[in-house]
Amino acid sequence: MINIEDYEAMAKLSLPEAERSLIRDRAQALTESFAELERVNTDGVAPLVTVLDIKNVLREDVAVKIITRDELMSNAPEHEDGYFHVPRTLD
Amino acid sequence: MDYFITDYKTGNASAVALEDSIMQKNRPVTAGSKILENFISPIDATVVTRLQNGNFPIAGKLKMDEFGIPPVFADLPDELSSAVRIVADNKAAFSLCNDLFGKYRRQAPEFGCCYIHPGYGTVSRFGLIPLASSMDQIGVVCKNLRDGFELLSVIAGNDVNDGAMFPDKAYVYKRADKKPGVCVPGAALSRASERSRESLKSFASGFNPVSAELPYFDLYKQLMCILSCAEISNNINRYDGVKFGYRAPGYKGINDMYVKTRTEGFGVETKLAAIMGAMVLSKDQYVPYYEKAMKIRRLIKDSLRFDEYDIIALPCEIEGGGYENLGLFALPALLGLPSVSFPYNGGGIQLIANVRNENLLLTAWEECVA
Repeated sequence: MINIEDYEAMAKLSLPEAERSLIRDRAQALTESFAELERVNTDGVAPLVTVLDIKNVLREDVAVKIITRDELMSNAPEHEDGYFHVPRTLD
Repeated sequence: MDYFITDYKTGNASAVALEDSIMQKNRPVTAGSKILENFISPIDATVVTRLQNGNFPIAGKLKMDEFGIPPVFADLPDELSSAVRIVADNKAAFSLCNDLFGKYRRQAPEFGCCYIHPGYGTVSRFGLIPLASSMDQIGVVCKNLRDGFELLSVIAGNDVNDGAMFPDKAYVYKRADKKPGVCVPGAALSRASERSRESLKSFASGFNPVSAELPYFDLYKQLMCILSCAEISNNINRYDGVKFGYRAPGYKGINDMYVKTRTEGFGVETKLAAIMGAMVLSKDQYVPYYEKAMKIRRLIKDSLRFDEYDIIALPCEIEGGGYENLGLFALPALLGLPSVSFPYNGGGIQLIANVRNENLLLTAWEECVA
């Protein structure tokens, strides 16, 4: 059985018990269906990461302004003097 | 039916409605999630700018599943989407939405509408709240494909703000000179309902259908689940209550703020996708799941025979419930292929063409419907 709690921590979640039970059952069913992938021989096959044959897009190293600081801060839950306000991050 | 997220709506039946994952400056954009309930967009999406430049009125922002993840992912009951219903009810001429999991392609024909899913790299994703970045593409709900492709030509074209696009600055969609060759894979046909099967056979009979299979068809749903959840979990990492969006009250410390915010802000389908994504990308599961899925994705690409046929025709529903039908609509997302769906003879038809061959989809539809 999948240890849901490990992946909750990775995803920064803490599930209520009713949700944990539903998600555990669903994740278990989905994972069991993934076993069918093993029957496909993929030796020597390169992963297909992107569907387009694209190169990294570059532009001139020139500063452009598409948004102001006030616009950026306008959606912040808490901010002060142009800084995002958060709990202490270092002990 | 209430289609919109707010009172902001024009009531203009010739307007274009936007799924609420498409940003419109100074308007709320929530992607159907509590975690963005108070977010006001600072920008216009490129598709919005192009609609406005083309003098298309915007009808409003449509209610949607949270981040576009359908309830069938968690094996929960599904609902009719606002994006399809508003066009079916003639309250808007078109809807724009991101149909990653095929919900709109499946529902549109049931209600007398069509859906166009452009090839990846055709329509700018700038200003679209991302779900799975290698698969996201804004498509069109419309009453008929001719009008839908005309609208698509307004919003499609290269955008410097989206780094994964074809270079074409504009697209003109028109009937091709040749009649497309059509393939109807037996694996999908045999699992369609009787109504869908008859509809598909009737459609294909007008095109001298080619016999060909989709060798990995039964694995499409697993690939779609693994790859989309991996990308979704990555994309929703940004929702942490720091710079924007919902921040939970009553936290103790930074990590508690993250956990409370995301636990309270996300619905169950999004949490499932986040946990599945964390799992398939974790150290011990990455190779057997994520890397394996990407390798099979290449095998699928190599298995298609667009030298023998031009279009793959599929039903819009097969037996087996929501998870099985996830696989039915996966191919365009997995390989960036253009597709359409439309009603035909009592059933829904889904057509898929090779990259940059949207014209053949329009041609096939005009051959049988127009």
